[in-house]
Amino acid sequence: MPQRYDAIVVGGGHNGLTAAAYLARAGRQVLVLERRHVLGGAAVTEELFPGFKYSVCSYVVSLLRPEIIRDLELPRHGLEILPLDGTFTPMDGDYLWRTNDHAHTRREIARHSRRDADAYDEYGKAMADMARFVKPVLAMVPPDPWAPDWDAVKSQAQMAKRFMALPRADQHNLLQLMTTSAVDLLDRWFETDVLKATMSASGIIGTFLGVRSPGSAYVLLHHYMGEIDGAFRSWGFAKGGTGAISNAIAAAAREAGVAIRTEASVAAIKVKQGRATGVALVGGDEIDAPLVLSGLDPRRTFVSLVEASALPADFLAEVKRFKFRGSSGKVNIALDALPEFTCLPGAGSHLRGALSISPSVDYMERAYDEAKYGDYSKRPYIDMVIPSLTDPTVAPPGKHVLSCFVQYAPYKLREGTWDQKKEAFGDAVVDTIAQYAPNIRDIILHRQVVTPLDLERDFGLSEGNIFHGELSLEQLFLLRPVAGFARFRTPVRGLYLCASGAHPGGGIMGAPGRLAALEAIKDQARGRA
Amino acid sequence: MSARVVVLGGGPNGLTAAGLLAKAGLQPLLLEARAEVGGAAATAEIHPGFRAPVLAHTTGPFRASVLDALGVTGVELLRPEPRVVLLHGEGGALPLFGDPARTADALRSLSAADARAWPALDATLRHLGRLAAAVCDTVPPELGAPKWSDAVPMGRLGLSLVRLGRGDGQRLLRYAPMAVADFAAEWLESEPARTALCALAVTRVLAGPGSAGTTANLLLQAAAGDGSAAGEAVFVKGGPGALTAALAARVQALGGEIRTGARVAKLVVRDGRVAAVGLDSGEEIACRAVLSSADPHTTFLRLLAPEALDPDDRERLTCFRTAGMVSKLNLALDGLPQVRGLAPEHAAARLLLADSVEALERAYDDAKYGAPSRQPLLEVALPSLHDPALAPAGKHVMSVHVQFTPYPLREGHWDTQRDALAERVLDALEQRMPGLRARVLARQVLTPLDLEREWGLTGGHPTHGEMSLNQLFVGRPLIGFSRYRTPVPGLYLCGAGAHPGGGVTGWPGANAARVAIADLRAG
Repeated sequence: MPQRYDAIVVGGGHNGLTAAAYLARAGRQVLVLERRHVLGGAAVTEELFPGFKYSVCSYVVSLLRPEIIRDLELPRHGLEILPLDGTFTPMDGDYLWRTNDHAHTRREIARHSRRDADAYDEYGKAMADMARFVKPVLAMVPPDPWAPDWDAVKSQAQMAKRFMALPRADQHNLLQLMTTSAVDLLDRWFETDVLKATMSASGIIGTFLGVRSPGSAYVLLHHYMGEIDGAFRSWGFAKGGTGAISNAIAAAAREAGVAIRTEASVAAIKVKQGRATGVALVGGDEIDAPLVLSGLDPRRTFVSLVEASALPADFLAEVKRFKFRGSSGKVNIALDALPEFTCLPGAGSHLRGALSISPSVDYMERAYDEAKYGDYSKRPYIDMVIPSLTDPTVAPPGKHVLSCFVQYAPYKLREGTWDQKKEAFGDAVVDTIAQYAPNIRDIILHRQVVTPLDLERDFGLSEGNIFHGELSLEQLFLLRPVAGFARFRTPVRGLYLCASGAHPGGGIMGAPGRLAALEAIKDQARGRA
Repeated sequence: MSARVVVLGGGPNGLTAAGLLAKAGLQPLLLEARAEVGGAAATAEIHPGFRAPVLAHTTGPFRASVLDALGVTGVELLRPEPRVVLLHGEGGALPLFGDPARTADALRSLSAADARAWPALDATLRHLGRLAAAVCDTVPPELGAPKWSDAVPMGRLGLSLVRLGRGDGQRLLRYAPMAVADFAAEWLESEPARTALCALAVTRVLAGPGSAGTTANLLLQAAAGDGSAAGEAVFVKGGPGALTAALAARVQALGGEIRTGARVAKLVVRDGRVAAVGLDSGEEIACRAVLSSADPHTTFLRLLAPEALDPDDRERLTCFRTAGMVSKLNLALDGLPQVRGLAPEHAAARLLLADSVEALERAYDDAKYGAPSRQPLLEVALPSLHDPALAPAGKHVMSVHVQFTPYPLREGHWDTQRDALAERVLDALEQRMPGLRARVLARQVLTPLDLEREWGLTGGHPTHGEMSLNQLFVGRPLIGFSRYRTPVPGLYLCGAGAHPGGGVTGWPGANAARVAIADLRAG
């Protein structure tokens, strides 16, 4: 294998692979280096218990950019998205069950509140309008107000014009979305507590915020954006687990000529006279390339891999200030049978959607309070799915996989370490589920607890933040990760950031990977990289 | 022309607007529901011989440019040094001075790093505060149908941001939406120093230091004052009532008329324009324009007939957050209280009692679930130190802001919790001021419900509506209402519910008067 490439991508997560595929399609000789034995980063499937395939970290998909699916022909490379039908929220003696069947959902909400059933349509329309406005931003390179270029000024002016042209109600909603809390936003439409609690949950995922914290409304929108006019209309599973997405992208990349090496851990990004020249591997090998794209988060990229002397001190200081603060964990469970909810017994189709432990707004807020003071929530918010009901390939016949996203699990514990508390945290999750589905304790065959510390150590996510840095207002758009360096470029020429720590942020979106690759290609064409 | 220009409300903003209208020769009529002007900035007798600032005890400070324009003289604005003292724990006291070097000296015993960081923090806030002040001076742009005339001030603001340079420009964009706990942690390491910044930033908002957007309050405080990181603590000799009394005198001297005891019941709209003001008494006063310094809820939802506004606007207005969070305890004391750990010469400062950032956050947690904080944030002032005439010789008045006391209580009613609240506050004060209880001759307790009933502040909100990111600038009070003009021609909003918000600055009043005068002159 040659030790010289046109471009090296550090990290074989879905964004790194996407960047590599786009670079190769533009004629570059590209090498992807992945530290682990499997590709995918946090979008990975692993068989940790015989016959059971866990989507270890990320477990549902919706945000993946349609242009990437199209450009890379991902369905041809094996990507198949299966529908995730609705959200079921068990309560004490009752439940709230929303599905993709509009009439059913209306009837169900009307059971709780007739007014809310009407408001649900209005809300859906308002959110669709908002998402339609914000969506082009996802495909946009953020501006740099202190070094304006013509393209950026033009796109900014266009955005301002579009905003001005919106009806006043939409302008109002957008302002609220960008600044308020998820609950404040939902209060305008709804009165049913459990409905607000479940819907507000999207506003806290991956973020150290409560549902009443300002800023959580934006995260709600971020999670809503995949649901509009894309290739699929709502959240779904990848057949074969989330790793299948990464594998499809990898297959497209390989077809385009990308070389991929696993178990190749990068020790340093080499910089000479302000230019990236390649990477050094753990073990001493060096590989040269004039272009290096990092699919790692900003802290790992700039603090761990680039020598401090190669970076301006103020830039490095800003990178160190970038907030991670992982807030979530994951519990993956192999089940001998299906869980049985007290409030709706039987193996009905409610089990085929998301199962949300979010019985009230206060419940959500109290879960956050515990985390604020440095402990995991004893009664956490849990978002669960049983993908094996839809995708039989992930579990043996009659058996099931239960994938539980759990919040809050703060990276920094006030007392003890995560290694000490890991199983107790897993127990709290099972106890919480057992409150609503008591048979859960008897049907567990195997349990994997993924703490924020595990996310950091095993998946390279600093402080266990699943989005490579919080999606808080001061870390978005032209401030992500550092103002002036939000355009995927870094202070080192030829070094680009191509993952969730860059605009537009986290989730299995692929947007940063694609945009970074296109910007790098553009720079080379202008002779600037 | 017989129809008059009417100003609703005799608080600092109403008086400012009336004064500027009078100066422009428009002979305004100001209507105040209470027996005296002053609104939330008043000084009143709480016990025979004892006069206290009833609600606000400091000013924002009040805009010097307004005082100059109106020719107000004789108002003595006092800036004590130290400005603020944080009282923490059993006997800890951290003074914050207007002069950053002196604060750095005070910090040295806590942390050498903080002593080094403070002057830079102070300089940054001053620098950013200047741009924030320019924003406060600007009438927010029209988003629906932008006019070229908006392009100039907006362009100027954009340029100022670019001129701040990459470093400070980026800081401004980052800081405004940030939680103050994060901001404090970036700059300072010692708990008292962090606590002081956090306490300053959460005064008069229903938010904890961990809530996003609280750093914006620090920037707004910096904008209003000289930008010092110590926060503003500008007292008026004689209490804030002395300021509003002086403003009222100038309104009259400039040809304006003030009627107190005139409670407005409705705004009459005819042919799509505001045409008259109807009083409780049934009297109608014909007018060609109304500048309302009442809060947005009162102005638009109570005084206007429902059909005068678009239903969607009305619905959006109901979402304008007005839940109050502060109560007031005024004490008549038979002597100066001893404050443990506080240098006697520092007693004239704004005293903040908070133990830690976490204690502030927990105080907010209680309010989140609809209960008064078990360990409230207390802000104490001793106005009689600034003006001995406020109390008989040797005696004093003490003014205490209590946070958080949420307007919506989940259990009980404020009318029955008033005494329990006072007792809790006195208990907390007694710990730092041994012997205080024994010195109390009389007390006055004002809950958020009292603020609503007595001063017409919807939800008891001291600044007419939460100063949160969604309710600032173009969002104050609402997109489409933020330019002081309202959808009802001739009706203007000139109080704290308009940009740039509350804090006894006169800013919204002055900006609104500017807009209204331009309209009235143009006919």
